[in-house]
Amino acid sequence: MAMRLGSNAADRSGSIATTGADAQLRRPGRQPAWTLPAAYVVTVLALVALNFLLPRLMPGDPISALYTEGTASYVQDGGQREALRAYYGLDEPLGAQFVAYATGLVQGDLGTSIRYQVPVSELIAERLPRSLLLMGTALVLGTGLGVLAGAAAGWRRGRRLDRGLLVGFISLRNFPVFFLGSIALYVFAVKLGCFPLSGSSTPFVSLEPLARAGDVAWHLALPAGVLATEFATGQFLLMRAGMVSELGSDHLLGGRAKGLGDRVLKYRYAGRNALLPVASLMAIHVSAMVTLTILVETVFRYEGLGRLVFDAIRFRDYPTLQGCFLVLTLMVVTANFLADLAYRRLDPRVTT
Amino acid sequence: MSALLEVDELAVRFDGEVDALRGVSFALERGESLAVVGESGAGKSTLALCLAGLIQPPAARGSVRLGGQELLGASEDTLRSLRWETVALALQGSPFNPVVTLGNQVAEPLRERRGTSSREARKRADELAGEVLLDPAVLERHPHELSGGERRRATLAMALALDPDLLVLDEPTGGLDPVTGSELVERIGELAAARDFGLIVISHELAGAAALAQRSVVLYAGEAMEAGDTTRVIGDPAHPYTWALVNAYPVMSTTKDLRPIRGLPPDPRAVPPGCPFHPRCPQAEDVCHEQRVSLEPSRARLVACHFGGLKTLLDARGVGKTFGRGRRRGRLKALEAVSFALRQGEAVGVVGPSGSGKSTLARILTGHLATDTGEVTLQGRPLVRSWGRSARAERVRIQLVMQDPWDALSPRLTVEELVREPLDLGAGDGDGDGDGTDDRAATVAAALESVGLPASGQFLGARSHELSGGQLQRVALARAVIVEPELLVADEPTSMLDASEQARLMVALRERQTELGLGLVLISHDIALVRKATDRIVVLDAGRVVEEGRSERVSSAPRSLTARRLIEAAPELRHTDESGDREPIATGGET
Repeated sequence: MAMRLGSNAADRSGSIATTGADAQLRRPGRQPAWTLPAAYVVTVLALVALNFLLPRLMPGDPISALYTEGTASYVQDGGQREALRAYYGLDEPLGAQFVAYATGLVQGDLGTSIRYQVPVSELIAERLPRSLLLMGTALVLGTGLGVLAGAAAGWRRGRRLDRGLLVGFISLRNFPVFFLGSIALYVFAVKLGCFPLSGSSTPFVSLEPLARAGDVAWHLALPAGVLATEFATGQFLLMRAGMVSELGSDHLLGGRAKGLGDRVLKYRYAGRNALLPVASLMAIHVSAMVTLTILVETVFRYEGLGRLVFDAIRFRDYPTLQGCFLVLTLMVVTANFLADLAYRRLDPRVTT
Repeated sequence: MSALLEVDELAVRFDGEVDALRGVSFALERGESLAVVGESGAGKSTLALCLAGLIQPPAARGSVRLGGQELLGASEDTLRSLRWETVALALQGSPFNPVVTLGNQVAEPLRERRGTSSREARKRADELAGEVLLDPAVLERHPHELSGGERRRATLAMALALDPDLLVLDEPTGGLDPVTGSELVERIGELAAARDFGLIVISHELAGAAALAQRSVVLYAGEAMEAGDTTRVIGDPAHPYTWALVNAYPVMSTTKDLRPIRGLPPDPRAVPPGCPFHPRCPQAEDVCHEQRVSLEPSRARLVACHFGGLKTLLDARGVGKTFGRGRRRGRLKALEAVSFALRQGEAVGVVGPSGSGKSTLARILTGHLATDTGEVTLQGRPLVRSWGRSARAERVRIQLVMQDPWDALSPRLTVEELVREPLDLGAGDGDGDGDGTDDRAATVAAALESVGLPASGQFLGARSHELSGGQLQRVALARAVIVEPELLVADEPTSMLDASEQARLMVALRERQTELGLGLVLISHDIALVRKATDRIVVLDAGRVVEEGRSERVSSAPRSLTARRLIEAAPELRHTDESGDREPIATGGET
């Protein structure tokens, strides 16, 4: 039998009489379904290695404080210092350390924090849900707000609404996130006192589940609000630009000629297509979002993963750093993967 | 009951400076079909959008009435109710939402406008696909997964969804291969007959438009240039623009080399005053850039031309010439009642065997020889045969390129002097408006370059014996066109040249003819050559016109014996690579 380029395409076309050129033009051969996950697996493996290496490339090490004369933790006894090094396995060559790390990882053991003296997995299990809650809330709110405002502004390009939104979002975008956070803290927590100054929940109190949820939300409001604003500015500009370029498109004109209503045209025709760059750039921006989250958590002293990373870096807490980095990179990769999948659903033209 | 569609003085100006349409009027009833043809940028697509009220004041002015309802300035609700129900547009390109399957888009008007259930609408979409010869399975796909032909058919299916009264097709066959294109055209014709909708086909594709529409409107720079029955407008164009457009369009029988319309389409920001076509028109006069034109009845159609269409440049009626005196013996009837006409910018070939009177005709047409009977007029005025100084301005309007350039051009003059001589002569009788010597040198250089000759010092100083026949013949051509004549008569201009030089001369000749908008009479016994350069052929034999017709017809289906003989005797090369012993080109793939 003749093997044709894109033979499945020819099958799909069924009985219709088309010229040979038509059949060949139709669809490029799809890549096998496993290529995408495989690419992600390779990425993850490379990241595991980098996670191990990067903390060790920073100057200093977890017990460097023990060596520094004058600090409170300075250890006089050289032998004891060496014993500590040996205890944490830091005197071994890098290769051996990596083997130990990788073996532990396979067994699900992320090691024990040098600073907190608790298993890293426990630390992460405690902090991760808070960070996810913060990021998730901010992402949903921010994207929703940015996309809707962007669509509204782009659809009415040059009108008063558009100009107002554009000026507002661009001004917001020019504030660094920590500055925005500080302002929010000053205004809402210090002056108005309607939100807490720091933390992710009220410590040392036992509350009913509902009251506990309210407490968490109360603590979440400011950091999530600031983070959502930060996300929204980017999405707004993208969505608005996408919408504006859709305004002159053939299919929108076609839709208008079909006598469709304004809402259908705005959302189904212009909006859905303008959303494509938003979705694709979201995938690229996930890592930036993680960075923003760390910054916001630090500003608000929110007890999330970001704070943990921040502290772990300060104390060169290798196991904690490795664990946190691993989780964060996995988050980024997963988010990318999801965005990739979402994009495929949004845009049928993407086949590779 | 008002007409289905009435367009009255529709003008569209974008951003206050871009003139897309400049006053177009026409009307259409149900069951009628109209083709709107023209070059890119003539305002065709703008017109389509106006018909669905997609361009509104202040950009649009005039009136578009659909079933009596004025579209310009109508409320958005009114327009929405008319769109697709009354007027459906099959826009060019891909008017599909890229992220929605075709089936959903074809069914969309039914769901959104009629409230049909999704399932019903989808079923109807499948039926519609069948009506335009599209496999319903295609509807499962997204727009990017379709071939151009499928996309055009899907566009058509979508346009038919609400059974509109008026269907507007913008470039229905644009970008399609001819097989798919003609299938689609045939299908549209059948649908129009079956459903009795008004049909407007907008296209630069003359053949497709002509096949679909009973009437045609030719648009140029946003104005209608010619309107009427398609058979007349496309089949026998009257307006210089339509004529040039049809001539630029290749059909299978075309023998003449393709000829672009000289000049460029106007910038819609600065449409020329008066008749917009005048900068490109071979017959433009002062009135053309002073007064605007409007469609007026002429030659059984409407033509927007100050002269009612193409002027007759040269008209020879009953021309007879006898040489010698006395009775039967010494007398030679060279020409007998020869009549033919030449329109502005047209190229006519005069072919015939030796002794048929061709050269005599050439000499009469150029005013070198008087007729015995009959009359030759150039633009309605009899030819001037006086050699007097006062007649010179008249005489330069017809120029002759002769068979033997060595004979025709003085061997004592240099190339520069040869080409410049007509200018110098012209300057003597008051025609010269103070042409400086430098200007003339520049004109000479330009004339030489226009026929593909160098205008360098060495070449300018050469004399005829230093040049090849082809070069010299092109010098003769430069000398003929430098005075900007209206008619060029070329008598066997290539008979002394080898094939390559002949081709080069013909290219230069045709190019000059197009660019200057000249009438051309090309006299030759070589019908193979003549048919490449002319629109019509006149066959002479023994001093009589034995056949006359379009070049492709005369050279492929001659009616006269003389023409048939000339064709049989025409040179032919046997190409051995067409014997068919090679494998046909593989299609699709190998096992």
